[in-house]
Amino acid sequence: MFKKFLASGVALAALSGAAHAADKTLVISVYGFAQDEFKEIVYDPFEAQCGCELVVETGNSVERLAKLEARKDDPEIDMAVMSTHDALSAARKGITQSIDVTRLSNYDKLYDIAKDPVGDHMGVGYTFYATSIAYRADEVEIESWADLFQDKLKGRVAFPNVSTNQGPPALYMVGKAIGDDAADLKAAIGEVAKNKDDIVTFYERSSQVAQLMQQEEILAAPIGRFAWGAYSKMGFDMAWATPKEGQTGGMNVMILTKGAKNEDLAYEFMDFWLSTEIQTKLAEALVDSPANADVEVSDEIAENLTYGAETVESLKLLEPAVILDNREAWLSEWNAQIGQ
Amino acid sequence: MFQNRMEGLALALPAAVFAAIVFLVPVGILLSEGFRAEGSWTLASYAGFFESELNRTVFWRTLKLGAIVTAVSAVIGYATAYSIVTLPPTARGRLIGLVVMPLMISPVARTYAWIVILGRTGFVNETIVWLGLSDTPIRFLFTETAVFIGLLQLFLPLMILSLISALENMPRDAVPAARVLGANWLQVFVKVILPLTKEGLVIGGTLVFTGSLTAYITPAILGGSKVLMLETLLYQRVTVANDFASASIIAMILMVMSFSANLLLKRLATARNKR
Repeated sequence: MFKKFLASGVALAALSGAAHAADKTLVISVYGFAQDEFKEIVYDPFEAQCGCELVVETGNSVERLAKLEARKDDPEIDMAVMSTHDALSAARKGITQSIDVTRLSNYDKLYDIAKDPVGDHMGVGYTFYATSIAYRADEVEIESWADLFQDKLKGRVAFPNVSTNQGPPALYMVGKAIGDDAADLKAAIGEVAKNKDDIVTFYERSSQVAQLMQQEEILAAPIGRFAWGAYSKMGFDMAWATPKEGQTGGMNVMILTKGAKNEDLAYEFMDFWLSTEIQTKLAEALVDSPANADVEVSDEIAENLTYGAETVESLKLLEPAVILDNREAWLSEWNAQIGQ
Repeated sequence: MFQNRMEGLALALPAAVFAAIVFLVPVGILLSEGFRAEGSWTLASYAGFFESELNRTVFWRTLKLGAIVTAVSAVIGYATAYSIVTLPPTARGRLIGLVVMPLMISPVARTYAWIVILGRTGFVNETIVWLGLSDTPIRFLFTETAVFIGLLQLFLPLMILSLISALENMPRDAVPAARVLGANWLQVFVKVILPLTKEGLVIGGTLVFTGSLTAYITPAILGGSKVLMLETLLYQRVTVANDFASASIIAMILMVMSFSANLLLKRLATARNKR
């Protein structure tokens, strides 16, 4: 019995030895979506290139940020991707370090807005998306963010919850439409509150909106461009609004953790991900819109992405600092006026 | 069976240690968080929780929907269970099978089905418009009505099954005897059936009420953020705000509500007994 126990112990040790065979390991933390595509386009080719092992942690932003903070003094994660405001929050908490952009050969190819969106090079943008209104062109016309509250859409429109990434930008644009785009979003939240009984739901997941649209429960909703693919295939006359106040959106960035144990590999990985080749492949797979301005894709692909210098320049993005500094206030304003 | 008690206890020890380490201790730590503020024990966070109007609304809504679902399922449950137990054995077996069947389908699938059924172009609305009860489809989704319907459908089988087993144990002649002695159906129910089946009602009621309080998927899908319940609020606090303190408060409130409901139902049952 004891011998058997000993033998299994030896076998275990041998197994764990095998797992450490690759002497270089990079640990990254990413969003849980499209992991099959990422594995094929980014992870596997990178492992082949660096001869290292890539450990991928996934989860939603809140969980991942909490984990990074908990392991601040002894980080197990080397690089992570997150929204610009989460990156700023991480920077303020001292979780991340400034990225030495001279070590990224593809840095100069990035659109200007992706180069230093967080400040102090605490993050490098790798993708962004437009947020506008998807609507049924055969039923309604949308030329302004205020058109969300037109009579035809009473009881037929969904709006993003303030807690989602689409929420604050959409509110910001509603504010612009009603002539008060102050950062406190009070006027916009008030406008939504006034119409809350006519709004079918305040959605928390973009997949939920797609389903409501498919079921003809709603005729319009502000959504992120990354979700557009599903709408264009619904068999309805769907349109992407270009409201007179403009489109808004968001950006995701890569960050480098302070005290990262595999800094060199992390730089190599970031540069790999930002390369024209990889950004093109990710765009073609409709995973992420490119932040690399050298990427060229067919019109058909571009149609489903946030693509091209003109589109990128026109996005009215909320500053990460504005989001971070006002988030709590927006939430309590929302809860007071709309929360039910 | 064992030489002495110690031997039996020793055998239970591994399971007990396991349960303590992976369940009791973490739950204890999580729940104790709500009673701690700045290093000392306090009820301040509970007071703070109920200061928020949103939290109070959500609390009352959860309590209200739980109570209504329990009451309605008891009414429907008695009617259904009574008609089932009076049937011959074969038919009874088949009908019980039908009652159990929904329990074998995932609550996610069942709840999504309601989205289709209750939608604007769904069966319910098409019938309403066809019958001329309303010119335009009625909005059910993301209302308390939708959550109520979803929860009722989810937990009604538990009530029916509890009542069937209670009714089966009731002396066969009790109801005919009461009828012969001149009792009307209401009297039969209140004075004969109810006292004799109260244990089934307590079990069924506790299962339905606790289930309604702690259901997540149904209120999340059919109610969304417009009809927050304690369970969906808890999830939101954790995943959106990373606020485990509020979450542990909500978890504690849910536990207290469940235990109180059970105690209350038992008390009601025994009170009737003494009379």
